[in-house]
Amino acid sequence: MSEKKKLNKDEKKLMREIFWNSFMLEASYNYERQQALGFSIGMWPAIKRYYKTKNEQAEALERHMAIFNTTPHVVTTITGVATALEKEASENPNFDKSIINNVKIGLMGPFAGIGDSLFWGTLRIISVGIGLSLAQQGSILGPILFLLLFNVPHMLTRYYGGVFGYKFGTSLMGKASSSGIMQKISKGATIVGLMVIGAMSASMVKLQSALVFTVGEEKLPMQDYIDQIFPLLLPLLYTLFMFYLLKKGKKPTTILLITIAIGIGGSLLGLI
Amino acid sequence: MQIAIIVGLILAILWFIEKMLGTPMVIRPIVVSTIIGAVLGDLQTGILVGATLELVFMGFIQVGGAVPPDVLVGAGLGTTFAIMSGNGADVALALALPIALLAQSLKVIVFIVRSWFMDFAMRLAKEANIKGLITLNIAGLLLQSAMYFLVAFVAILFGSTAVEAFVNNIPEAIKNGLEVAGGLLPAVGFALLLLPMMNKNNILYFLLGFALFAYLNLPVLGITLFGVVLAFIIVFEMKGKQGEVTETNTTDEEDLFDV
Repeated sequence: MSEKKKLNKDEKKLMREIFWNSFMLEASYNYERQQALGFSIGMWPAIKRYYKTKNEQAEALERHMAIFNTTPHVVTTITGVATALEKEASENPNFDKSIINNVKIGLMGPFAGIGDSLFWGTLRIISVGIGLSLAQQGSILGPILFLLLFNVPHMLTRYYGGVFGYKFGTSLMGKASSSGIMQKISKGATIVGLMVIGAMSASMVKLQSALVFTVGEEKLPMQDYIDQIFPLLLPLLYTLFMFYLLKKGKKPTTILLITIAIGIGGSLLGLI
Repeated sequence: MQIAIIVGLILAILWFIEKMLGTPMVIRPIVVSTIIGAVLGDLQTGILVGATLELVFMGFIQVGGAVPPDVLVGAGLGTTFAIMSGNGADVALALALPIALLAQSLKVIVFIVRSWFMDFAMRLAKEANIKGLITLNIAGLLLQSAMYFLVAFVAILFGSTAVEAFVNNIPEAIKNGLEVAGGLLPAVGFALLLLPMMNKNNILYFLLGFALFAYLNLPVLGITLFGVVLAFIIVFEMKGKQGEVTETNTTDEEDLFDV
């Protein structure tokens, strides 16, 4: 199995089937097995290809009913890897089938990490940012652009992720290295994500001091001084404060209510 | 009555699309409020309400097993009530927040009910019955869509007069406070996004993105491009112990800004 080999005709068909079968991953999301039902349906194109008897097919389906959870937009990469492993398992009688679920579990965590920061944290935030600036002016282009900006990369990732996963899984059988690339992508995605969230919180969190000191005749609004030293200092501090509370284990709903209380209380007292 | 059925159907269908098409974000307020605005004959208000709610609800996403406030129900009903009572974004926000929080637990119930389905799913898998598995998967989804229809239908049918009375009695001071709170709420969302990503070693990148906007007023897309270039340089171009450089900087900054 060479690493860079071109996909043959049947493999291309397989890639398309993986793509189309991947969409229902979360249709029956639940506490017991999370996305397992959707994932095992996504494995069906591989299972029906590689296993011809009903017993073997049932065994494989049951294997993929194990608890599973990752970012829905990047699932095909894992499906692709698992497909390559199932292929090996069906051809090689000495293959230890427990490896398949171990690899899946090893991948779903990092992929959830990368996928969440890439899709939920970065791509969605950029799409919202651009869509929002139009929607705030009342333009219908806002929501439309939002959906397009998010879903074009989403669909490309869904298809080519499957191809990448399948090739990667196939080469994994040859040599076990090249996993360093995952860490690099993860680190890069985190850097971009953090910068984008930084920029978005600067542009969207609104907090201004309404305090005015009166010295003699002169009125000195607090906000003017803050603006001279560090514009948007207050939104920054507030965002970090929220982060700090979450880190301390406070529930999102709790800090949501705290924020509403601070907003109403602060405005009643004339502080903000 | 008609409105209750129509909005109920919209929410049910949007949820169905969201989970049949791999989470394409059609249940985000920016989309939901726009569609409801269009159907109720006030597209403009719908879009504006969607923009406001999207900002506030940005951080409420389902990552992992945690269930966030239900943005679909919150945005759907908040927008409906605001438009029906002739109000705009502020009122929609005041209504959407508590509704989203109340609706949160409904999802939990669905997740528990569908856990019971899993025994049945295992039996179907044992028989290699793929058609049965797909049917079960869709049935689980329809159950949730039906729940959304029911919630919206009942809330609008019986709630609109009560909601209208409530909205008209909110004191002006509280309305102002809500507006201030509306400006603060995105901070909660961003903090939620930061929670799994940010630590002592990389808080610097967050501050860099923030400062680029605060001091230079660069557009977010521009800052993203800088971020991509910076990430590429750090991850692929620099070899060896490049981490040390950023780490010393980080501690300096942190002493200044860490709350």
